[in-house]
Amino acid sequence: MATATAGKKKTVRINGCVASAQAAKYADVDVIAAYPIRPYTATMMALAQMVANGELDAEYIVADSEHSQLSIAHGAASCGARVFTGSSGVGVQFAFELYSPISGARMPVQMMIADRTLDPPGDFGSEHTEALSTRDMGWLMGWSCDAQEAFDNHLMAYRIGEDPRVLLPQMVCQDGFFVSHITTDCELPDPGQVKEFLPPYKHPYPLDPRHPVSHGPQIMPEQGPPLQLERARAMEGAMPVIEEIHDQFARIFGRRYDPWLEEYMTDDAEVVFFLQGAHGVTARHAIRHMRARGAKVGMVRLRTYRPYPTEQVAASLSKFKVVGVIETNMGLGSVSSGGSLYAEAVAALYEVPKRPLVFSFMAGMGGEAIVMKEFYWMTNKMIEAQKRGKIEKRAHWVGFEE
Amino acid sequence: MAYTELTVWTRGIIMDKEGRDIVNSIAASARNEGKFAQAMENYVDNPDRTNAPTRKYCRISDSEIENALTYENENPNIVVLVEQTMVKGWDYMRGMPPGGTLVINTQYTPDYMLRFVPKPERLAQLVCVDAAKLADHKWLYYRLGELGLDRLSTEGAAERSKAIAPDIAAPLIAAVVKTTGIVKMETIEPMIANKAAFKAALKELHIMPLNPVTA
Repeated sequence: MATATAGKKKTVRINGCVASAQAAKYADVDVIAAYPIRPYTATMMALAQMVANGELDAEYIVADSEHSQLSIAHGAASCGARVFTGSSGVGVQFAFELYSPISGARMPVQMMIADRTLDPPGDFGSEHTEALSTRDMGWLMGWSCDAQEAFDNHLMAYRIGEDPRVLLPQMVCQDGFFVSHITTDCELPDPGQVKEFLPPYKHPYPLDPRHPVSHGPQIMPEQGPPLQLERARAMEGAMPVIEEIHDQFARIFGRRYDPWLEEYMTDDAEVVFFLQGAHGVTARHAIRHMRARGAKVGMVRLRTYRPYPTEQVAASLSKFKVVGVIETNMGLGSVSSGGSLYAEAVAALYEVPKRPLVFSFMAGMGGEAIVMKEFYWMTNKMIEAQKRGKIEKRAHWVGFEE
Repeated sequence: MAYTELTVWTRGIIMDKEGRDIVNSIAASARNEGKFAQAMENYVDNPDRTNAPTRKYCRISDSEIENALTYENENPNIVVLVEQTMVKGWDYMRGMPPGGTLVINTQYTPDYMLRFVPKPERLAQLVCVDAAKLADHKWLYYRLGELGLDRLSTEGAAERSKAIAPDIAAPLIAAVVKTTGIVKMETIEPMIANKAAFKAALKELHIMPLNPVTA
């Protein structure tokens, strides 16, 4: 239906929002459902300009709310369209009703999320809470740490989600500001590469008056279990597909990502940060400085959050003595009284015979940048715990403690 | 200097592109010279409103920029005021280390403007340039309708005009580059759309030397 403009591979300096819009263009999306909310707004602005300039032939629909935005996305996907939408913060939550129906209908809708803190109070800064609150709705989900990774993740997510063995919607997340509004170099591929990697989308059972099918009918309770089991299996079954697609991506584009975890300076590390998203960028610098001072510190960055890579997390984190989980999300009243990343990391480690000490760092809340000296402070907390042989508490609020 | 911060104070919407062009072109030149450089807008000033003060930042370094995710320039070495009335009422000198440079787009002289500058003892020089005149700039408010519609620019997502510094940014970039040497003249000049204003500005800067930093 749509045609992306041709052009050779080039490196451009763009922010995460524009990288997402570029990815949608290269993926040759058919329908864009838009509704403004910062920081996602820049993505819909860039796409609007591409459509207006004739660079991208797609239906661009501005909805009256995020709920409508996702409803439009659902409907368009049901007709067999490749759909792109996105939101941030409270917008992600206003559309909440649609997340389960879209994954239940097995519609591979793609949603770009540029994280924004939930109210109160109004805040533009990045916290992962809004996207994480939808984590069990049957969407594939993962975080990028710069514009290039965001661009690449969008393409891979379409390919994974649209695979007939998977057919699940995808949330491609990036931190607001830290990725969405900071420009970094991003290689835009040759459209031929994208063509090879991402074939045109074909849903097996689209709504079509010539071949009538039912989507989303009311069911009897006894029909529930098999349908839910199927959706659960689709999520589990996505894991080998995700690995396969990452391999294909590396072969075609020359950039290889571990589908699950990025490990940084972990070879001889004794204490590690466990985090996702943009703060991994600053963490790498801090780790180099701490290592120069003799600390055996490293980082494990989670790249895919759904499906959760339980085995990989267990295998990785069990190599270390102490794991400090940098949350950048709120899990009010949760098991650690900190954020939600802790609970699943600890659960993944439960069956490991030699478990590390694990605790949360509440840092970067409200979208505050996590600065170098805070990484140093956190490293020291981990080293103290290692010496003591036990944790001081499950959640440390960085900047509020000695 | 191994690490330099440049902060531009400008007016939302009507002078948004001017401010953005200054940081973007200087950062791009620095990268062309093999340095590490970053340009960005102040995240919480945006989305900007007409006339509201908004800040744009540039960071240039000989080594990789480690504070790339920090929202604001905490210690600007160079500050540019794209509109002269901003000289009063805004704390644009906050965090400036000694030896700084302040560049103002104004028809007044540095002698006249200095009285409004808070903590001027940190300045090594005050530079005034009549950028609006040099760019043969129509009175901004005539263009308000056109500029007010250009909301695309508010998030830096897209530019309606792809030309860099077609207007009053050109003399201001000339003033910054000539008085601070932040980048080389020959790397930045080819990027500038309004070359006439850029060149004219090089000869019409009003530079007041103040307190140089002794090494």
